[in-house]
Amino acid sequence: MFQFKPGREVVVVGVGLHPFGRFRGKDLASLAREAVVEALKDCAVKWRDIQVAYFGHVYYHGMSVGETALASLGLTGIPIINVENACSSGSTAFWQAYWGITTGMFDVALAFGAEKVPGGPVTVTAADSPDRYIGGDHMMAGYALRMRRYMEETGAPASALAQVTVKARQNAALNPYAHRKDTFTVEDVLNSRPIADPLTLYQCCPTSEGSAAAVLCAREALGRYGLDESRAIRVVAAALTSGNYNGRGSDHSAFSPYRTEPAAVQAYEMSGLGPEDVDLVQVHDAATIGELQQVEALQLFPKGEAWRATVEGRTALTGDLPVNTDGGLLAMGHPFGATGIRMVHETITQLRGEAGPRQVSNARVGMAQCSGAGDVTTVQIFAR
Amino acid sequence: MPESSRNTPKSVDPGRLRLDGDQASTGALLGMRCLDCGISVFGQAVFCQACSSARLEPVDLSRTGTLYSYTIVRVPPEGWPGPVPYVLGEVELPEGPHILAEVIDVAHDALRIGMEVRLALEEVQSGDSGPVFSVYKWAPATESTLGTGEV
Ligand SMILES: [Zn+2]
Repeated sequence: MFQFKPGREVVVVGVGLHPFGRFRGKDLASLAREAVVEALKDCAVKWRDIQVAYFGHVYYHGMSVGETALASLGLTGIPIINVENACSSGSTAFWQAYWGITTGMFDVALAFGAEKVPGGPVTVTAADSPDRYIGGDHMMAGYALRMRRYMEETGAPASALAQVTVKARQNAALNPYAHRKDTFTVEDVLNSRPIADPLTLYQCCPTSEGSAAAVLCAREALGRYGLDESRAIRVVAAALTSGNYNGRGSDHSAFSPYRTEPAAVQAYEMSGLGPEDVDLVQVHDAATIGELQQVEALQLFPKGEAWRATVEGRTALTGDLPVNTDGGLLAMGHPFGATGIRMVHETITQLRGEAGPRQVSNARVGMAQCSGAGDVTTVQIFAR
Repeated sequence: MPESSRNTPKSVDPGRLRLDGDQASTGALLGMRCLDCGISVFGQAVFCQACSSARLEPVDLSRTGTLYSYTIVRVPPEGWPGPVPYVLGEVELPEGPHILAEVIDVAHDALRIGMEVRLALEEVQSGDSGPVFSVYKWAPATESTLGTGEV
């Protein structure tokens, strides 16, 4: 069913991150540039060897911010493409970079993303949309609907969902780049301010600022650009799907993890790997329920069982399948355009064995899944 | 109908809700049914979302459905014109589509997944001077779940 044929093997050679949080006084282009510089330094690639750049972001900060961000690195005349694909903007930029290289168009590509998300509930539609009168366009209310249904169908107690946040905070406490580093108990999470029942504040990701970047290269071209093969990590799958019909129709707010399933199938097919091969995974946990349903949609746990695995500690750093090892959207934070590439950054860091206190032992295969409002899902698999 | 008339009720979205005559409180949810594969979608469509057929016919969707899930929204999105908190319901129609809208006339502790609800249209104004639209909502299909006695 996979309609695209990968060609050359692609590796990630460099990754960079700007801390996630609030950075008043730093504009989007400056924020973006800092992660790019980190990624370039990480692999010692020469700027003039970068042949294309894709920049993921969502909110409007003037035109062509990608070009502005990169201008001070040198005007080399390469194509620079600004990408908007909701919360999957960054992972879509990465997807484009991957396919540009594997098909032979480019040898070396940059994918980067940045965001300054405004505070308050996130909506998908424009301010004058009829949906504001209808009341259904509310990202966290959408998650709350899924959460109540999941609890009813699986018998998951509220404490099991709260445990997702407890774990996320524990991981983030070991991550100097995270937006939220203080740890919580299950009671703290359940007693935090209700947002949309049964979702409480600490079960919702913060709206963040931050940036992330990755440099990709064709493996066969590494020598030509003087790039170090020893820290390169293979991209063995990069899938992106949008808008799969599920029988419920097109109401944009009724999104659900069913959209992840076909992207996961494509990624497994492309890589020749299966769920049993995955050692760690980053998923789109914009709310606690998101993590549970995404790992199930990726076939990493049976349907309706992820909450139990979470309670048993199986998704913790010391568990058999660590999930969102850097704190995830819930604690690392969620600057939309950066998030998908932040997941790449964490996966690469883990597979290189450079994750320090949050290092997962014997990590050989890592997966990243990112959802974009309503319709988009990306899934990547990386291997050492 | 002169556009300037403030008394003529307006549908919140004519692609999704048709008002009957001059009534703000009577109308129907609009959908499209595929003549080839039989599925229905809420709102307008050019081709069938399931089979891509161009043979679609406009239909009025069911006026009743079951509550698939619900949430009590305590922090509303910017621009929400109604009272807070409000109940948001995801309702499954017999034809398949799920439709998100406010659930009215129900006590919070009477809400149940699987309960029967019916279409209810209400006029909503944004602020004191903003535009008025007739908005589709859901209400319990039976009166036993009424919270306030208001209908
Ligand atoms: Zn059809």
